[in-house]
Amino acid sequence: MDYMIETVDLTKKFDDLIAVDGLNIKIRKGEVFGFLGPNGAGKTTSIRMMVGLLKPTSGTILIDGTDIKKIEKGKIGICPQELMLWQHLTCKESLNLMADMYEVPKDIRNQRVDELLKDLFLTEKANTVVSNLSGGMKRRLNLALSVVHEPDIVVLDEPSEGLDPQSRRVLWNYIRSMRDVQGKTVILTTHLMDEADSLSDRIGIVDHGKLIRLDTPENLKKEIGEGDVVEIKLSDPSKNLELITEIKKIEDIISVIETDGRINIRALNAVSKLPKIMQFVEKIDLRVDDLSVRQNTLEDVFIDLTGTGLRE
Amino acid sequence: MKFTSIAVKDFKELIRDRRGLFFILLFPIFFMTIFGFAFGGMGQDNTPHNIAVVNYDDGTTLATGETFNFGNNITNEIKELTYTNSDVKMFNVTETSESNADSLLKQRTVDAELIIPSNFSASMASQIASSTGLPTNINTTVSSPIIRGDEGYSNFFASESALNGFLTEYQSGILSNYKNQLAGTPVAEPVKYVNVTVQGISGTQSFTQFDFLAPGMMVFAILLLSTTIAAILTREVESGTLERLKMSKMRSFDLLFGGLIPWSLVAGAQVVILLFVAVILGLHWQGGISSVILATIIGIIGGIGSIALAMILASFAKNDRQAANLGTLIVVPISFLVGAFFPLPQVFVSVLGHTFQIYELIPWIHTLDALRGVLLYGEGLNAVAYQIELSLVLTVILFIIGVVLYSRTRLRADN
Repeated sequence: MDYMIETVDLTKKFDDLIAVDGLNIKIRKGEVFGFLGPNGAGKTTSIRMMVGLLKPTSGTILIDGTDIKKIEKGKIGICPQELMLWQHLTCKESLNLMADMYEVPKDIRNQRVDELLKDLFLTEKANTVVSNLSGGMKRRLNLALSVVHEPDIVVLDEPSEGLDPQSRRVLWNYIRSMRDVQGKTVILTTHLMDEADSLSDRIGIVDHGKLIRLDTPENLKKEIGEGDVVEIKLSDPSKNLELITEIKKIEDIISVIETDGRINIRALNAVSKLPKIMQFVEKIDLRVDDLSVRQNTLEDVFIDLTGTGLRE
Repeated sequence: MKFTSIAVKDFKELIRDRRGLFFILLFPIFFMTIFGFAFGGMGQDNTPHNIAVVNYDDGTTLATGETFNFGNNITNEIKELTYTNSDVKMFNVTETSESNADSLLKQRTVDAELIIPSNFSASMASQIASSTGLPTNINTTVSSPIIRGDEGYSNFFASESALNGFLTEYQSGILSNYKNQLAGTPVAEPVKYVNVTVQGISGTQSFTQFDFLAPGMMVFAILLLSTTIAAILTREVESGTLERLKMSKMRSFDLLFGGLIPWSLVAGAQVVILLFVAVILGLHWQGGISSVILATIIGIIGGIGSIALAMILASFAKNDRQAANLGTLIVVPISFLVGAFFPLPQVFVSVLGHTFQIYELIPWIHTLDALRGVLLYGEGLNAVAYQIELSLVLTVILFIIGVVLYSRTRLRADN
């Protein structure tokens, strides 16, 4: 198996804080790799080390089998979480500048810039200064600037942040085309679980600087249990714990947890468990304000693995 | 040539940021205008300078056998001196004791005090003997007349400058008088036996305080550039665009040399614009187009120094506001130290046997001296070459420090 990025015991310490703790990841060539984790889990720090912007405290990073210190600049393109744009340049000027900085030959530069503007629906704004673009346009330009030199690896750090559904679709299609048409390796960090589920071939979940799971989205969902999720909102959430204790006694219940004042029940054939659950609700003299039944999602996996506590 | 793309980028950003451009170009013009109106007439109105003269001179016997008191003679000449083409006296002279003169100075009843030492006549005799070859009946004597005054008082500089000019004229007048009397006597290279201890600024009576200030304002504007450039460099870090460039194949040289081109041109443009404004406001500008070209080149060198200072500031500032504040904190004292607004007391230091003024280590002091020489005295390249060379050497040193610091703190991978 060919790996495009390989980290070996990658560690980063900031004084007493261990931001990344012995991270071992192998990212395959030509895959979209979802890199998930709660805020402060060490995702951005790991990524900054993987692209050479931050020196690791210890450990090794191999890019296509070569130590990151020895690779040619331009092999990696990063689309950062924040907008990194020159406010007083136009879209075309910005793209031409970065193409020049990456030494893209002049004879193909114009064609590439025009293609990027077209693919990311920015052609009409080619000569508009950045400060006059909308938020979605700026974010698309942010991506375009990261790939104008056609890097082998593209790192996208929360690229959909603040995008409307239309812009998100444009972005998702472009990410898919980078993998399927251009054969690039894409690392995607996001807090949008549907985005990670929809785009990623494999997903790595980090928490407290450590990799806690790495698998395909399907396998991850299976790992925490097949079946459905029932969510109940009681008229008096203070009695949630009392009901949770009763529900746990029911056969084939995989897990019952409280999330955001709701009771989250994961079970095989959850619909058949509903009459029993309703009996318990009546027994403690309460009523159900809201009830939903749905299939397992990546978000359930994420919460199951990283917990519900805030990290900030 | 990636640096050309960086230069074009910086130039476009500079032109399109109207507010920033306004600050860079119009703020110094605004200052120049205010100073022009405030000081434009000062010293120009043919009004007498009020001075006190303290004469300790014992007199001397010249080689010709004549007994003479040069102290009395110069005092009388000062009293009789008038402005060119005018009956107005140049000085109102109060002859008094040193303690009383000091007290008059403190009350600002007089603008300056001239102290003629007891050996003034003896030193003049030595000077005459040295210049004419006549034997002297006394030992070689060096005297030090003192021009004393309140250095925080603007009238002092005008009086000091006029007095200095006159003292120099007096000595050369006396010498040429004796040389004429003894025509044919072999003349040795004259040695100075009278050293006035206050540094002269200008001997031209028509100069105003604004003439002194205008080149200073140009240097102040050039120095102010460093706060703007430091803020822009820091903004590039803050906005993350520098990180983008760091990821690319751009070298430190491309970024820094690319930035150097538009900003040094701005410095040159500032000199031209401010000269134009200053001339409108009454600057006694000497020289023609060549002096403007030379002044622009001097301004560009000063501008490169400011870019170097900006890199140093941007190495430490965490955001553009901090860079601007830190810049102001550094630039304003430097402006005073280089004498942009008024001359500073002389502070000499000695290193490896060389004695020099401590301010001479600041590159912009030479920018200012060269600008004053070119614009006020109409001096050519040869006359200011030494100042330009010193300015260049110090700027190169500062630039190397700036490049090293900025590259280490901003252009390498974070630790």
